[in-house]
Amino acid sequence: MRRVYDQKSLRQRTIWDHFILGLLMISTLVVMVPLLIIVGYVIINGAGALNWDLFTQELGSPARAMQGRPTGLVHTILGTAVVDLLAILIAAPLGLGAGIMLSEYPDHKLNPVLRILNDTLNGMPAVLKGLLAFSLVVKPMGTFSGLAGGVALAFVMIPIIARSTESALMNIPWTIREAALAIGLPRWRVILSTVMPAARTGLVTGFLIGFARAAGEAAPLMFTSFGSNYLPNHWSNMILGPVDTLPQRLYSLAISPYKEWHEMGWAAGIILLTFVMILFIAARFLTRQKIKT
Amino acid sequence: MKSTLIFKTLGFLAYSGIIILAASCGGGVSEERSAERETSDASRIDLLGAGASFPAPLVTAMADEYRDETNNRVTVNYQSIGSGGGIRQFVEQTIMFGMTEAFLSDEVMADVEKQTEGRAFNIPITLADVVPTYNLPGIGKGLVLNGEVLVDIFLGRITRWNDPKIAALNSGKNLPSLPVTVVHRSDGSGTTNVFTSYLTRVSDEWRTRIGFGTSVNWPTGIGGNGNEGVAGAVINTPGAIGYNSLSYALLNDMSFAYVENSSGNIIEPSYAATTAAANIDLPEDTRVLFTNTPAPDGYPIAGFAWMLVYENLDKNNAINSRRQAEELVQFIIWSITDGQELSEGLGYARLPEAAIQRSFDMIKQIKWRGDPVGQEMLKKAGLI
Repeated sequence: MRRVYDQKSLRQRTIWDHFILGLLMISTLVVMVPLLIIVGYVIINGAGALNWDLFTQELGSPARAMQGRPTGLVHTILGTAVVDLLAILIAAPLGLGAGIMLSEYPDHKLNPVLRILNDTLNGMPAVLKGLLAFSLVVKPMGTFSGLAGGVALAFVMIPIIARSTESALMNIPWTIREAALAIGLPRWRVILSTVMPAARTGLVTGFLIGFARAAGEAAPLMFTSFGSNYLPNHWSNMILGPVDTLPQRLYSLAISPYKEWHEMGWAAGIILLTFVMILFIAARFLTRQKIKT
Repeated sequence: MKSTLIFKTLGFLAYSGIIILAASCGGGVSEERSAERETSDASRIDLLGAGASFPAPLVTAMADEYRDETNNRVTVNYQSIGSGGGIRQFVEQTIMFGMTEAFLSDEVMADVEKQTEGRAFNIPITLADVVPTYNLPGIGKGLVLNGEVLVDIFLGRITRWNDPKIAALNSGKNLPSLPVTVVHRSDGSGTTNVFTSYLTRVSDEWRTRIGFGTSVNWPTGIGGNGNEGVAGAVINTPGAIGYNSLSYALLNDMSFAYVENSSGNIIEPSYAATTAAANIDLPEDTRVLFTNTPAPDGYPIAGFAWMLVYENLDKNNAINSRRQAEELVQFIIWSITDGQELSEGLGYARLPEAAIQRSFDMIKQIKWRGDPVGQEMLKKAGLI
């Protein structure tokens, strides 16, 4: 009797197990399907517009596209790289610093305030960050600039990087820090040489999530990097003058009345997606390599 | 040392950054090299303007053309952010010139005068024509409407397309008994300004109940964001009527109405009819609406699109040098003279001669630190 009972229980458990596993797979699919649909839809619509001109020519006026003259997004692609790079260069040290402060100095008086401010910044609509960068950078400089765009995107990245840095460092057991302190390392050394290397995967992932989130933002760039139809006359104007970025250009191409520009918008979508994906793959590769050594 | 790992990661980011920067510099350098044959790098200028979306295709095409004509010496970057945005950024002094379909109000003019010790000039750059667009199965373009009928439709009084008032104007046409769906702009727009200014001028009731402006309190209908929003709603709704700029309607194959003007002539919207409409007595600052024009062959729902510049260019934070100021003035002069050649090909009406003369009078007064650069540039172009 007892054995039969046991077997029945086992069978029930197996069924239950399969059922839950099935549910999990369904939810995974539900998450994946929209992503795949989006990626697939963008590729189907944009692949036709991908051509060499897109990567070598400037946009110019819509007349160029309508009359079949060469037009492309080279200035947009370079502009996106410059603005995103400026943003991560500004945001990485600040976000990392804030994250270290929150995790490694938990008793510091400023921390509760810092945490509230960080969460507020994270929840703030991105367009307000653009306005902040407008008054901090654009107004004093007297012109829209790639730098202002970088600052606006940095405001998007900082709270994400700070939060993810904090949680990545918190995951490292406190005993490791105690062990390092016990052999006489100063506190900064402990953080730099034991805690951060141990948390590197989490740290890099945090950078990337912040980066990817900012790379897709159009709203904060509208009144900071502003947009341009050409490469600037001097390369320094990539930073000091108005530049084009993919998310913003994608938006303006999409609402334009021209069929040719709609197609180019889809192609811009492919480029932006590829850009973000390459970064994710690079990061995965980087962190994996580090684990082996 | 383990700590180097994180630095390597950061190092990679910085490194890839340098590569990208180097690539962008490289792009710039090769670009410069090709241009060096004609002009030295120091003499090359970037001009920045922004504003109304309606003239954007024309102005950017002018920028393309001007860049070629000056051998890449001058790059004009124009971004379409709407008339409201154009005025705002012009006043904030973040752009070298603005562009708008609604001229600067007296308050803004006074504000500018206070800030820059000089005036703001509204220089007509092209003409904006607004056409009633509709979706009536079986009826193409050319439905005849007049001011009274348009007011009744947009007030919500005419609710069916076979209304006797519409039928009286269109004897040969078989009007369906579809309900009328009014579509208007939901955003602030120069197009709305021109359209409502027409309705205001033909109807006292509209003037007192609704008035005109870049956005008004519509008594009926659904809102669409931008020219594209209105067009989308009209195209997808049988029985819908909205209003779009003529070039937009042509580009998107929309049916549009012919409108009876104040002289009783039925006018098919066209570049010539729009230019004719502007053939009136212009005030010196050209800040005038000429909807419901008295010109007998003029199309009645039209207005100027203006370029905005400061009288004292040195007072505009966005302009840093006399060279930039001179190049800006030269571009403005070119765009209202030679640049007008591009108009018809792109769906725009040419400026009438009177407006160009008024513009020259304004350009003459443009200064850089008290020097009359406007006058100098006009002389250089051989226009005075």
